[in-house]
Amino acid sequence: MNEADYKELKKGGMMRQAEAGFFSVRLHVVGGRLDTKRLRAIHDAAVRFGRGEVHLTTRQGVEIPNVRQDSLASLKEFLAPSGVGVGVCGPTVRTVTACQGCTVCPSGVIDSPELADAVDREFYGRPVPHKFKVGISGCINNCMKAEENDAGIKGWIEPRWVGSPCTFCGVCQAVCPTKAITTSSDGDALIVDAERCIGCGDCIACCPSGGMGEKSRGYRLFAGGKFGRMPFLGKKILGVLGTKEEALAAISAVLEFFRAHGKPRERFGDTLQRTGFPALETYVKETTGLP
Amino acid sequence: MTTPLLDITGDVCPMTFVKVKMGLQRIGPAGKLNVRLKGEALKNVISSLKTEGHRIAGVEKEGELFLLEVEKKHE
Repeated sequence: MNEADYKELKKGGMMRQAEAGFFSVRLHVVGGRLDTKRLRAIHDAAVRFGRGEVHLTTRQGVEIPNVRQDSLASLKEFLAPSGVGVGVCGPTVRTVTACQGCTVCPSGVIDSPELADAVDREFYGRPVPHKFKVGISGCINNCMKAEENDAGIKGWIEPRWVGSPCTFCGVCQAVCPTKAITTSSDGDALIVDAERCIGCGDCIACCPSGGMGEKSRGYRLFAGGKFGRMPFLGKKILGVLGTKEEALAAISAVLEFFRAHGKPRERFGDTLQRTGFPALETYVKETTGLP
Repeated sequence: MTTPLLDITGDVCPMTFVKVKMGLQRIGPAGKLNVRLKGEALKNVISSLKTEGHRIAGVEKEGELFLLEVEKKHE
């Protein structure tokens, strides 16, 4: 087997091990969710084709290590009926990570697994200049570390000062973690600084009078993050996106931009260092019409 | 009858939360409880009071401290 063949196998989720002739097989998992039927099939496959163990990856995936090269095809066939696919590697859109989202977590603002499934359906395994990771956090607590992903999403609550019921009690200003709420110079209005606001919604949850209300809740996109040898935190682009469809359209446009401007084996964050973030934001706004 | 005052400025979570809950147990429905608090307790106590259906009828700011007038839910 030559290097090109190994590369092809790797793209298909079969990673050559240090020990000659053995592969670690990456499985297709979305947002770390597996039903018991799939878990059982993975268990049986690890016993039959591996050494009876699995590796839980950093991105909520599962790999079956120690599979002999001549068993790779049979392993794939064995898993297929239970709905377990083999994963991807190489310059592709990788495993989509997600928290449990608003249907399970009391802090959740968005349905992260639902968006993860949609992103997976649309983009998983698609070719890009270099690996591209998408992570979805349901709220600002950011368990999925949105900024460490090439495209990260956070559930976001955007506050709006409503006015009349407000008694200027000062609670919202005291609880705001970034001190984004100030009183206007003539003292008759509160101003929320959208740049400083981190979308936690604490000001709304704590408002005794109803003077601080919700302007919108939805998806906030961060682009260009990565970890590895040279870590870089992604930056917020666009406004708060109101629907899953808008979030998908934004991610799609981000991928188009990466394909158009990224060099082979260049991470998206490095591409953005060259082009600047405004170029990406302008492109996404123009092609999608999003705010 | 004067409204009882509960001072939790020296407490940290979860005692802030527990003391307010116990304070509210000692009064009847729609009764009032004054709570003096600060810092982290402000967020946790107010949001949980609202979630449980109580009302913050009044707020007074005393420098870094806040004095809440809590009205227990009507039931």
